[in-house]
Amino acid sequence: MTTTTEPRVPEASPSAPLISVRDLSVAYDVARTGKRLIAIEGVDLDVHEGEFVTVLGPSGCGKTTFMNVVAGLVKPSTGTVLVDGSPVTGPGPDRAVVFQDYALLPWRTVFDNVKFGLEMQKELRGDGWRDRVQEAIELVGLAGFESSYPRELSGGMQQRVGLARAFVAEPRILLMDEPLGAVDALTREVMRDEIDKLIQKTGKTVLFITHSIEEAILLGDRIVVFKSHPGAIKEVIETGLERPRSERSVQHDPRFLELRDHLWDALQGEATAAAVSK
Amino acid sequence: MSVTSATGTMRIVRPRRVVRRDEAKWTWLLIGVVAAILLVWEAAVSWLHLVPEAFLPPPTAVAASFAQLMVDPAFWQAFAYSLTNVVIGLVLAIVVGVVVGLAVGWSAALRFTVAPFLWLLYSTPKVALAPLFILALGLGSASKIALVFLLAVFPIILNTMEGAVTVGGSLVNAGRVYGVNGLALGWKVIFPATLPYSLSGIQRGAALAFTGEVLGEFLGGTGGLGHMLEFAAYQFEMAEAIALVIVMVIIANLTLLLISTLRRRLAPWYDDRKIAGAS
Repeated sequence: MTTTTEPRVPEASPSAPLISVRDLSVAYDVARTGKRLIAIEGVDLDVHEGEFVTVLGPSGCGKTTFMNVVAGLVKPSTGTVLVDGSPVTGPGPDRAVVFQDYALLPWRTVFDNVKFGLEMQKELRGDGWRDRVQEAIELVGLAGFESSYPRELSGGMQQRVGLARAFVAEPRILLMDEPLGAVDALTREVMRDEIDKLIQKTGKTVLFITHSIEEAILLGDRIVVFKSHPGAIKEVIETGLERPRSERSVQHDPRFLELRDHLWDALQGEATAAAVSK
Repeated sequence: MSVTSATGTMRIVRPRRVVRRDEAKWTWLLIGVVAAILLVWEAAVSWLHLVPEAFLPPPTAVAASFAQLMVDPAFWQAFAYSLTNVVIGLVLAIVVGVVVGLAVGWSAALRFTVAPFLWLLYSTPKVALAPLFILALGLGSASKIALVFLLAVFPIILNTMEGAVTVGGSLVNAGRVYGVNGLALGWKVIFPATLPYSLSGIQRGAALAFTGEVLGEFLGGTGGLGHMLEFAAYQFEMAEAIALVIVMVIIANLTLLLISTLRRRLAPWYDDRKIAGAS
């Protein structure tokens, strides 16, 4: 898609949103207490093709539940999620997920783990899939590690495998659940910039869950801020920063500082509220 | 080692492998200790006559008996009989144990209805059931195979069950996201993820399997190593009895070695985590 460095302000295009969430709620019955726990309530959100949306919120605010509903892993209690106009009834090849704990199969090599992204798609018939797997591995910078096992790789490299597995499926939407949450701080910065460039290059639509304010600002076209108890959208902010962004290039940008202060206040209020209610 | 990534170059260092450098040193120490014990034993019986030879024959007599057994066709016949029963019983226990364990571990409905009975049976002293088996199934192989199965199957079921419950929710989610459902999910994700747990259950089961066989032969048998051991003891052939016990120890340990080798081969990620605490 677009490779320009201009901020991709979601145009008020007449085209329908790729993801459309309306009045979404998810509630669980807690067997132990007999109470009904509301994970998220009344969520409305539209995401357009090619948009990078970061979802920011404190732990336990239901942002992962929200992503799981879009992924088709969790059924909504009320409300609808439409992807490209059709309601989500389960996982589908149009959406791929990158997990916080990588979720790689430890008995498979890097190559075979990436292949898992194509496992149930019919493409495994011919031989073309080999090239696709290889391309995805090269895309995330793991060439040369095809026959390594996940246990032989660092956390950052394991998540690269997770990314390649998602990319190989050629989904329209990438759902990332705190993909860098378990990665060490230095690798985290490097990979954040790489993910940014990969997404700009491939033009995927992304829903990126994080609890890092910097990550949310640096990656997102828009930031969706979640509040807890019950989980719901507190506000949606357009970042409006130029790409490519890096921590260095933006750290003196007044817009970045303004966003950071604003989000910091918003999250601090949430974190305090969460701590008090527990 | 460095790889060029999509956006630049970064250094990537492979984590160290587990090296067992100290093991040779400990092996020699162990050999020394065993040699010392044998020497004291020989001295106490043959030279100092502290213990009557009839009760505790010296190591040299046991070794001579052992050598005799190795060329005795009757021994090899008993050996084949016992081992056949153990292998049949154990294979049945592995198949049933893994299938039942996976099913009970995976299905919440089964876990709440069947698992309590499994734990109840597991905690029952199954040795107490041995006479019933002999009565019901006779003196032949059937009662021995049943005992081997009964003793071996529970650790396999319960370990597999625990593994299936423990299998990460995110692995299952990853399977579902990429369209792997139903039986394919079981075969491609849950079974391999549970395999190391099953194998450690099989290891415990195998250790008990031989106990089951010998117990069955003691209580009422027509052949086998246990039967031969009982006969030797009645005849006061202590050297032969001890030699037979040594044979059993060797068989049991070779079985355990075989299974732990198998586990390292089939599930290296599991061993690594246990040994090195690798992430």
